[in-house]
Amino acid sequence: MNAAASWRFPAFLNARAVALLAAALLLLWYTGQRVEIGRMLALSGEAVLAQAGLADRSQVADGLGSTLAELVPIQLSSRREVSRIEGFDPDRLPPFAHIETAATRVSELNPETLRREERIVRTAWLVEPFGYVFHVAAKMLETLEIALWGSVIAVLIGLPLALLGARNVTPHPALRAGSRAASGFLRAVPELIAALFLVIAFGFGPIAGVLALGLHSAGFLGKFYADDIEDADPRPQQTLAAMGAGRLTIWGSAILPQVLPQHIACTLYTFDRNVRMGAVIGLVGAGGIGQELKGRFDLYEYGHVGTILIAIFLVILTLDLVASRARQAWR
Amino acid sequence: MDIGIADLCVRHAGSADALADVKLFIPAGQICAVLGASGAGKSTLLRAVAGLVTPSVGRILYDGSPSSRTQRRRIGLIPQDFALSGRASVARNIMAVADIGIARSFAGLYPSAVRARAAHLLASLGLEESHLARRADSLSGGQQQRVAIARALLHRPALILADEPVASLDPATGEAVLTLLCDEARSLGATLLCSLHQPDLAHRFADRIIQLDGGRVVFDGPPATLGGSRVPPRIRAVAQ
Repeated sequence: MNAAASWRFPAFLNARAVALLAAALLLLWYTGQRVEIGRMLALSGEAVLAQAGLADRSQVADGLGSTLAELVPIQLSSRREVSRIEGFDPDRLPPFAHIETAATRVSELNPETLRREERIVRTAWLVEPFGYVFHVAAKMLETLEIALWGSVIAVLIGLPLALLGARNVTPHPALRAGSRAASGFLRAVPELIAALFLVIAFGFGPIAGVLALGLHSAGFLGKFYADDIEDADPRPQQTLAAMGAGRLTIWGSAILPQVLPQHIACTLYTFDRNVRMGAVIGLVGAGGIGQELKGRFDLYEYGHVGTILIAIFLVILTLDLVASRARQAWR
Repeated sequence: MDIGIADLCVRHAGSADALADVKLFIPAGQICAVLGASGAGKSTLLRAVAGLVTPSVGRILYDGSPSSRTQRRRIGLIPQDFALSGRASVARNIMAVADIGIARSFAGLYPSAVRARAAHLLASLGLEESHLARRADSLSGGQQQRVAIARALLHRPALILADEPVASLDPATGEAVLTLLCDEARSLGATLLCSLHQPDLAHRFADRIIQLDGGRVVFDGPPATLGGSRVPPRIRAVAQ
């Protein structure tokens, strides 16, 4: 009884933990200086004060405000010159569309009299009230398709990499090292850079996008799947191994059922990330909504850019809801 | 399968020997109960024979040969904590030892003889067909233990290692399960090495009792000769 009363219980924050915490804070302070965290806080604070009317003006608030102001009103309709629409039939207009005619005064040089003459040119335009929204939706669908196939390729490459790269499944430590290195290499090449090279190889369009996303995210899945496999409860694996089961049987019966929810969560996150990155790699011509975004941005059509950004946000929000449901279903 | 254990010593880092100087020969077909208080080394002995613990000193021979994949395929192991794959169905857990290839296993294309054997074992252990599709972690502790027993017996092992196989069961079910284990071992001609906390069950079912205390064998003989001054006080306390 007396001996038990003198037992020492370990503290959560012991000297080692405090030393680690101090080292982490020192590292954050040092790196914070290098990435200008202090200036970031000062400028952000100034912007908040300016918005609250406590400061005269703020460079950050002015810059952000003017950019955001140009994004609205967002572009919903589309307007196309009828003469440039191939096979246009005025009796079969798209839903909600109408034709507008605009008269323009044009000054031209008459080659016979060699005098400038003015004449009225009438141009017909096909106006679709939600035409641009449909156009963005079609481009977004293309991005979703690129992201889907990028994710399929990622799973097809990532799973074998994980099986070779997980300590408890790999046939040989050298294969594990090779697989981990391959996963690391695929992750190390950013999608944007991969897309640049692949656009040169495959030309503009979705092929470069699918491959760029697929190869990069295969590196992610190869690592995440392998880490999940290594972290799986070893007891069922050991029991089957003690009864002579092979590596694949152990994976299929004792590992996969355990790690399937994590695998599904990782795969859904990869798809979500590929949709977002699909918009970025479109900037270098790898297809999808990014290509449209880049084109509109270069033409200073910020209303169109606003529509595209809202479309991307809505898709990501929807995907998040779907992924959440899927994760719950597989819990 | 006969088991030869020579000078076995298992040492865990930073603690006393879990097993020290264990020498045993268990002939094929013998039903052996391992008794001892908690921490006496029963589970370590069974885990060492199952190849899950690497001996610090000594070696274990199976039919005179060191452990190999072929030998391991003749072992049926019932771990103390069942070690089922919790998210997998009961059927998938049991069939994991059927050696039918991963494609057939995923598709559920089990040979009819294997199906019949699994159904017979589960029914003998008091489980029903409706349990097959249930996730293992949705079963009670006792049901999980019975699934672990069925898994260990499915492939007709020559050596059955059972680590407290009736610990989670009520006395009546425990006795029935132990009867089944012994019957199966006898019909298969298999060696059964079974750790128990119930000396009365050991007396009734075992051909031989091995008692451990502090990682050492303190008694090794037929049940009739167990008792008296040869048994250390800790063991007597358990026996009583």
